[in-house]
Amino acid sequence: MFLIGISINHKTAPIEFREAVHLSETEITELTEELRKSYFKEGFILSTCNRTEIFGVPKDIVLSGYTDIIELLIRKKAAGGLTKENFRQYFSCGAVKHIFSVASGIDSLIIGDSQILGQVKTAFDHSHDMNFAGPVLKRLFDTTLKVGKRAIKETSIGEGAVTVSYAAVQVVEKIFANLEKRSALIIGAGETGELAATNLFSKGVYKIDVANRTLSRAEELAKKIHGGIVPFEFLNEHVHQYDIIISATSSEELILTQKDVANMMKRRKGAPVVIMDIAIPRDIDPQVAKIDNVFYHDMDSLQVVVQQNLKKREKEIPIVEKMIMEEMTGFFGWYNTLEVVPTIRSLRDFFEDIRSDELNKIKNKVTEDDFIKLEDMTRRMIGRLLHNPTINLREIAETGTNVQEISTRTMIIKELFGLDSVTGTARIDKSEK
Amino acid sequence: MLPAIHGLNWFLSVAYLLVLAVYAAAFFGKNDSIQNYKRIFLFVTIVLHLFYLLARTIEFNHPPITNKYEIFTVLAFSLAFCYFVIELLTDVRQTGAFIIIFALVFQLVSTVYIDDLVEVKEVLRNRLLGLHVVSALLGYSGIVLSGVYGLLFLSLYKNIKLSKFGLIFERLPSLETLEKLSFFSVVIGFALLTVSITIGIIWLPEAFPDFSYFDPKLITTGIVWLIYGIGILLKLLFNWYGKKIIMFSLAGFGISILSLFLLRVLASSFHEFY
Repeated sequence: MFLIGISINHKTAPIEFREAVHLSETEITELTEELRKSYFKEGFILSTCNRTEIFGVPKDIVLSGYTDIIELLIRKKAAGGLTKENFRQYFSCGAVKHIFSVASGIDSLIIGDSQILGQVKTAFDHSHDMNFAGPVLKRLFDTTLKVGKRAIKETSIGEGAVTVSYAAVQVVEKIFANLEKRSALIIGAGETGELAATNLFSKGVYKIDVANRTLSRAEELAKKIHGGIVPFEFLNEHVHQYDIIISATSSEELILTQKDVANMMKRRKGAPVVIMDIAIPRDIDPQVAKIDNVFYHDMDSLQVVVQQNLKKREKEIPIVEKMIMEEMTGFFGWYNTLEVVPTIRSLRDFFEDIRSDELNKIKNKVTEDDFIKLEDMTRRMIGRLLHNPTINLREIAETGTNVQEISTRTMIIKELFGLDSVTGTARIDKSEK
Repeated sequence: MLPAIHGLNWFLSVAYLLVLAVYAAAFFGKNDSIQNYKRIFLFVTIVLHLFYLLARTIEFNHPPITNKYEIFTVLAFSLAFCYFVIELLTDVRQTGAFIIIFALVFQLVSTVYIDDLVEVKEVLRNRLLGLHVVSALLGYSGIVLSGVYGLLFLSLYKNIKLSKFGLIFERLPSLETLEKLSFFSVVIGFALLTVSITIGIIWLPEAFPDFSYFDPKLITTGIVWLIYGIGILLKLLFNWYGKKIIMFSLAGFGISILSLFLLRVLASSFHEFY
């Protein structure tokens, strides 16, 4: 299978290089046209913040194609400092395996990344929309998406929180049974605060309010999550109303002291509260953890959750790899039959033509009854002669991933019987007659 | 029917052991298919146990509450049945192993020591006594369940407080759920215990000439009942939460277990029938 590809990702290049070659949708469209014009019959481009992948079936079997595509990409993005060493090159089985690994999330920076499958699908859709996907790539796209879905469904590769803000939600869920009845306060409307607020919002927390020194930023975030605003200066007067408090400010001083939280608990009549301090330096006095029914966690403790989940995901990699091998076998089984089926057909036609020729020669020399018997006998004979070669060839095609072996065997058959390699029709040497 | 009763007596211990193994495997392992099978195992065991209790009642012509080993098998059944109902109602499936282990212990002791009792005191054939004992056993089952859920709550509470995110954190339901299960069990246990005590107060003075309201067993049962009653009131009237109410529930559980053993060793009671 002549599928080739190049990949630049977290394993091959630092983030500044990955960012430098990141392609927008318009750039993908432009590059696709250039690839179609000079290099590929069909192909696709995947570009995310962490990786750029260009794969396709080359017009000519020239191995320097890799270098040309890498140079084209570097030139297009004017990415200085990038070299060939920052790219990994793939061919045939290796290329298919890599695409499957990317879609299943085992090749991601965060193993089991939940977004990558969607990004792969978008890349395939784009190729399809631009008429840059032939029958082989269409089949490859379907199988790739199948691998990605199987990895999510049949393994735990995507389970557990792998970001601090999501780990905070995971801990909250172990304290409160139903988040739809709970209220939350986000202190700090920066990127981390916004992520935490979005996670809580997606979990159905019924009321999320925001407190921030700069009011406009608080309003902006509150609007996104349909929440309210708590004046930062009067924080202590409001904190007791919330079951979940997530603090992520850049303040150098403590925002809530132990005394503040002790007072808050009195006003809450001891009702449990979860306090997540995901700021560095910390916003809340860690001593509050000693108060009954106060569940305080900071970056360090939440990182424990993240690391544990990452380890669990890593353990799933062999299962996903096994799954990839199964799907590769299926895919190459299909691909190999593309070459084998016409060969079998032309082999059978070749034998059938000889049979017809020989029967025609004796048609007028035997009785009608004898001719029918001869016809039956020769048909059975040809069937039996071709049974084993046909079955063996099909079996090798459907169960093997070794494309070279399939090509060699079909080539030998074509050579031995003089079959037309282009049209698949038989060439009978009439001089024998 | 006797060979069937004897066979079932041993088989029930094996069945509870099997149920415990399946629930423990589901808790410690990650096999999803076990999750679906474990409830079926428990259901079949409960049905067999019910059949065993009915068979004993018919064969020996009295309900199996006339000696402590008969009571143990009823208690094992009662625990398993109460847990099964809770699992069905709440769909909390991860706590079974911690309950079934109690059922297994009671059934195992019963299996080893239970006798075929045909001759029993006449007073033990009374229907009111049956109701008194059955409601008391179900009540104590509720208390055991509440105690187990309370212990699980404290274990998870401590794990979260100390940022230990291991198996307990991963597999147990939320603290709020455990607290609700514990409270729900206490309420049911308390109600049934109330029924049992009421029947006892009405019927016991008539049945026993040496009856005394100062009997140690009555006093300790009364104390346990009072502790749970106060706990329920505190929760309902003053909205007591989490660890505080769980500690109350565990104190009641501890006293009831302690009194059971202390009474056996230190005091004599008209409640001793065997």
